[in-house]
Amino acid sequence: MAATLCGKLLPKKACDRVFVPGWLPLTQSIRHGSKAVTRHRKPMHFIKQKLMAVTQYIPPKPAAPRGAYADETTVVKEQESPLMRLLKRDLEGIFRDCKMVAVAQNNGSTSDDMVMLKYRFQKHGIMVKFFPNQVMRSFLSESIYSNMAPLFIGPTVLLVSKEPKVKEMLSTLRVTQQMVLLGACIDNTLMSTQGLASYAKLPSVTVVQGQLVSGLNTLASQTSALLQRHPAHLTALLQQYVAQQAEAEEAT
Amino acid sequence: MISLIKAALGSVATVCAHAHPNGLLHSHLKVLTAGLKTLEIPPNYSDVVLPDKPKLTFMNKVPNLKKVQKEMKKLRDIQGPTQTANTFTTGQYAIVAMGGGYLRWGHIEMMRLTINRKTDSRTTFALWRFSAPYKPITRKGLGQRMGGGKGAIDHYVTPIRFGRLIVEVGGKVELAEVEKVLTEVAKKLPFPAKVMSRETLEAFHQAQADLEKNNQNPWTFRKIARGNMLGIRKVLSPFDLKNHGRFTGKFYFPGRV
Repeated sequence: MAATLCGKLLPKKACDRVFVPGWLPLTQSIRHGSKAVTRHRKPMHFIKQKLMAVTQYIPPKPAAPRGAYADETTVVKEQESPLMRLLKRDLEGIFRDCKMVAVAQNNGSTSDDMVMLKYRFQKHGIMVKFFPNQVMRSFLSESIYSNMAPLFIGPTVLLVSKEPKVKEMLSTLRVTQQMVLLGACIDNTLMSTQGLASYAKLPSVTVVQGQLVSGLNTLASQTSALLQRHPAHLTALLQQYVAQQAEAEEAT
Repeated sequence: MISLIKAALGSVATVCAHAHPNGLLHSHLKVLTAGLKTLEIPPNYSDVVLPDKPKLTFMNKVPNLKKVQKEMKKLRDIQGPTQTANTFTTGQYAIVAMGGGYLRWGHIEMMRLTINRKTDSRTTFALWRFSAPYKPITRKGLGQRMGGGKGAIDHYVTPIRFGRLIVEVGGKVELAEVEKVLTEVAKKLPFPAKVMSRETLEAFHQAQADLEKNNQNPWTFRKIARGNMLGIRKVLSPFDLKNHGRFTGKFYFPGRV
């Protein structure tokens, strides 16, 4: 490496009241080899490589290592289109007005079948409604009927009516091949298919009331019937009762 | 009377039959319910003004000079980041240089022809973001020995630095439509280049700023070079003081802070 040995102070200027400190280095080496800007990647001086390695970017460390806690799933609020809002309003009205809201799966029913089905249901005042599952799920998640959400998978159909006409609905659905009942919400109570069947078997309110009244009156009617019969029958019954009581006392 | 009724019924029946000639077909029509597909609203291009000349203009191979002069190599016009033409003007998408290099007339013609051919001038416009070649490059003849003076001017080039926009494209288009053409062109350039939109360019600068902000390393290149710690300036260039180790020669190191 050629070098010229020379060391001198910086040249003084004319306006030189202030002394300018500094000096040029003793050795000036003539650099040779490739220029600064090359087509190829020039091999870096080892010391510079060390400097580059030392001054690398170190990212900030998170408080807990990744995988320690479950990643927080950001709930993306879906954009509500005006159509969705309209359908949701309809749903609101349905759930408010109708006491019975049944969910059935509709497997490939033709338009003919649908027409017949709608006609049969119309006779009992049941309406057949179609809603997209997406709308249904988002409406249910915001309402009190959130437990109904698992019912709405696949091609579903809503069967709604103001009065809970379960027996008629079940009988109509039994005949149709394509519809499969999944569940229903009657008077804000979620019921499965079996529950609905048992609900259908329940007698009507008047019948139940009559049964209750008759049950309450059985005591009085029984005593009156006993008294009306021959007194010997009554004494025999009483004797048997006393004997039973004595047995019970002996047992205890 | 009965015959009349029968005739009437008969006619009604026939009418019914004719009213549903496709009765059989109807019975096979499946009941399909309308789904709920929400479509994205397409972008509004009402405020986009297309210029009169939407295509890329022809650039001369040789500048129109009276006095033709040879020039020194001055490779420092490739070095480091650019100070000019690093932001968008009227366009939306651009090819941005990710390294330094010289653009020759061949590259310019390739860009011009490809972009003009593959874009629709009714909806897209494109403009150059660099000037025509002006820097003369000399070459000596084949087989000539060293010495005998500087060679003759062979061709002209435009020096391009890192971060310079090369071609800006805009109009009533989205990035996806234009990206394909621009990446095609960007691959053929003599320096690494990327297709960026206004947002992505901003994100690029933001990412660099974030790196500098969030760096946990107390030792930075800038600090050590400026303070000449350990006499490191012996192995550094004066340009390293300005570029902070992000550039060497014409090359760019991404991820350096």
